[in-house]
Amino acid sequence: MSGKPRIGMISFAHMHAFSYLNVLLSMPDVELIGIADDDAERGRQVAAEADLPYLESEEALLEEADGVIVTTENVRHREKVLRAAQAGVDVMCEKPLATTMEDGREMVSACREAGVQLMTAFPCRFAPAFVEARRMIEGGELGRILAISATNRGRNPGDWFVQPELSGGGTVLDHTVHIVDLMRLVTGQEPATVYAELDTVYNPELKVEDCGLLSIGFAGGCIVALDCSWSRPPHYPVWGDATMTIIGERGNVAVDLFREHLDYYDNDHQSYTWAAYGESPDHSLVSAFVRSVRSGEPMPVTGEDGLRAVEVALAAYKSVEQGGPVSLPLQQ
Amino acid sequence: MISVAVIGTGGLGSRHAANFAQIDGCRVKRVYDIVAENAENCAEPLGAEVASDFDQCLTDDIDAIVVVTPTDVHAEYCIKAAQAGKHIFCEKPMTRTLDEADQVVEIVEAAGVKMMVGQVLRFFPEYQTARQMVQEGQLGHVGMIRMARINLMPGGWYCDLQRSGGVILDMIIHDFDWLLWTLGPPERIYAQGLYEQLPALDYALCTFRFSQGTIAFVEGSWADATGFRTSFEITGSGGLLAHDSTESTTLVAQRRGGDEVDESAYLPMTPAAKSPYQIEEELFITAVEDNLEPPVTVQDGREAVKLALAVLESAKTEGVVDYA
Repeated sequence: MSGKPRIGMISFAHMHAFSYLNVLLSMPDVELIGIADDDAERGRQVAAEADLPYLESEEALLEEADGVIVTTENVRHREKVLRAAQAGVDVMCEKPLATTMEDGREMVSACREAGVQLMTAFPCRFAPAFVEARRMIEGGELGRILAISATNRGRNPGDWFVQPELSGGGTVLDHTVHIVDLMRLVTGQEPATVYAELDTVYNPELKVEDCGLLSIGFAGGCIVALDCSWSRPPHYPVWGDATMTIIGERGNVAVDLFREHLDYYDNDHQSYTWAAYGESPDHSLVSAFVRSVRSGEPMPVTGEDGLRAVEVALAAYKSVEQGGPVSLPLQQ
Repeated sequence: MISVAVIGTGGLGSRHAANFAQIDGCRVKRVYDIVAENAENCAEPLGAEVASDFDQCLTDDIDAIVVVTPTDVHAEYCIKAAQAGKHIFCEKPMTRTLDEADQVVEIVEAAGVKMMVGQVLRFFPEYQTARQMVQEGQLGHVGMIRMARINLMPGGWYCDLQRSGGVILDMIIHDFDWLLWTLGPPERIYAQGLYEQLPALDYALCTFRFSQGTIAFVEGSWADATGFRTSFEITGSGGLLAHDSTESTTLVAQRRGGDEVDESAYLPMTPAAKSPYQIEEELFITAVEDNLEPPVTVQDGREAVKLALAVLESAKTEGVVDYA
C-alpha cells in the first residue's frame, strides 16, 4: 500500500469507540476518512466534534476505506463484519466478536474467503504488565502454568448492554472474553471444560445476569476461576479491573492491569476516584491494527481468537442450563 | 482451677499451651508429644509435667485435653479423652474423615463432656464484623462472596494429603466454616485443586452456590512465596465490603542489618488486647467452668469437615457435588 492507510469507524454504540477514535486522531500516519453510524444523530455529533466527515452511507465509507473499526452493539457485529468482508476491507471488531458460535464462524470464514483480515479488539493483550508477564512465562521462568485465579469485574454499563436483544447476554458475555484470551496465551492451552454459576442480584430488575463465576479447565490441566461480575457499585472509585494470579510450577506472577492510579479526593463532588495514569493499551491495539492494514502482515489478534473466547462465555450459559460442567468445543 | 493437658507441642501446640497457662483459673498441668524433646521444650517454661504416654494425661487430676496433633490422629485422641470423661479442645479440622467426625460426635455426646473445635476465624473481629453486616442486611441481597487465604507451603505432615487433607481441609476450612456460620450449608459445590502437586505446593479454587442465590468463591493457596495473608470481598444489592489483611495492619516492624532476609525481618502485626486464639481458649475454659455449651460445638466441627471433604471430592471427581 502506498501512502497512509485509510481507516473508517462504524458506530459509536460501544464506549470503547471514543478511545479508539482518540488514538486514531493522535496517529500522524493514518488517514481517518470518516464515521458511519446507524444512529445518524450520534454519528453526526461525534464526527462534528472530531472535525471528521460523517458518511450517510456505510457503503460509501467501505468503498473508500482500507480498514474499518466496528463498535456497534454486540448483535450487529455480524452484519457489519460481513459487509466489510464483501467490500474487501480489513476490519477490527469490538469484543465479544459474536453472540452465537454460528455468527462468529460465519464472520471468520467470510473474511477468510474474501481475503480480508479480521482482528478482535483485545486490548488487554497489549497492556505492559501483561506483556511482561507473558515474556516471563514464555521464557520458562515460572515453569508450567498450573492455575489462574482471575477477575474482570466492573460497574454495570447499563444502556444496550443490559438489553439482551442487543447485547446477546449480560456480564458473562461482556467480561469473560478478555481474560480467556489472556489465559490462552499464557497457558498455551485451549479451554476444555467450563462450569458456571450466574445470577442477577445487584439489580434484580435486569433481564441479563450481572453476577458470574466461571471455573475453567484447560486441556493441559491448568485450572482457572474467573469472576466476571458487574459487582462494582456505581460510586466505586474505578470502573473495574482485570487481574490474574498465575501459579506456575516454579513461581507465581500476579497482574492487575488497571492498577496504576492516583487517589483523587474531589471536594466539588465529595467523591473519591482513581485518576488513571500510564499507557492505555488501546493505543497499542489500534496501532497494531493500522500497521497490519498497511503492511498486509497478519493481525496480532485474529477473528479465530475472538471466537475461541466467545465459546467459553457461551459454554458458561450452557453450563447453567445443564447444571454441570460443559465440554469444549461446543456442539453445533 | 481447670487443669489441662496439651497433646501435640509443635508450633501451634506450644502457643496454645502458653496461652492456656496464662488464663486465670486454668493451668497447664501436663504436656505430651510423640517427640519427647518437643514436649520438654514446651513444658519447661510453663512448669508443666511431661507425660511419657497419652494415658498419663487421662488421670483424675486432668480436667481437659487440648488436641493439637496432626489431623489424622485427632479422632483417636478425642475419642480416648471423651471416654475418660475429659473435656476437649481440638484444633481444626476436627477430623480427617467424616466417619471419624461421626464417631467423635457420638462418643462426645454420649460421654456428656464439653468439646470445642478451634475454628478460630469466628473470633477474628474483621470476620465477625463482616458476618454481622451480612446478617443485618447492610449489603442487601448478597451476590458474590470472595474469600482468599494464601500461605507458603508448610512442611512436614502437611505435605501428605492422607494426613492433612491439603490446603482444602487444613486451611480454607476456616473460610468454609465462616460461610456455614454466616449462610448455612450450600446447595452445591464445584471445585478444582492441585492436590496432586503435593508436597511441592497445593492450590484450590472452590465455588459454592447457596439457596439464597449467593455465589461464594474461596481461593486457597499453599503456593505463595511471600507469606500469610487473607482477604475477602462481599458484594450485594446494598454495596461492597472488602478486607485485605495486608492493608489493615496497625503495626509493622522492620529490622536493619545483614544481608540475610528471613521471615522475621518484616513482621506486620495487628495487635489486640487479646488475640483470637486467646479469646477462643478463654471461652473454652469458661464453658468447662460454668457448664455452658462451647461457642464452637462438636457439630460445628463436623459440619466444617463435611463441607471441606465435599470440596475435595468435587476437585477429585471434576464434578458438581449436590450438597443439600
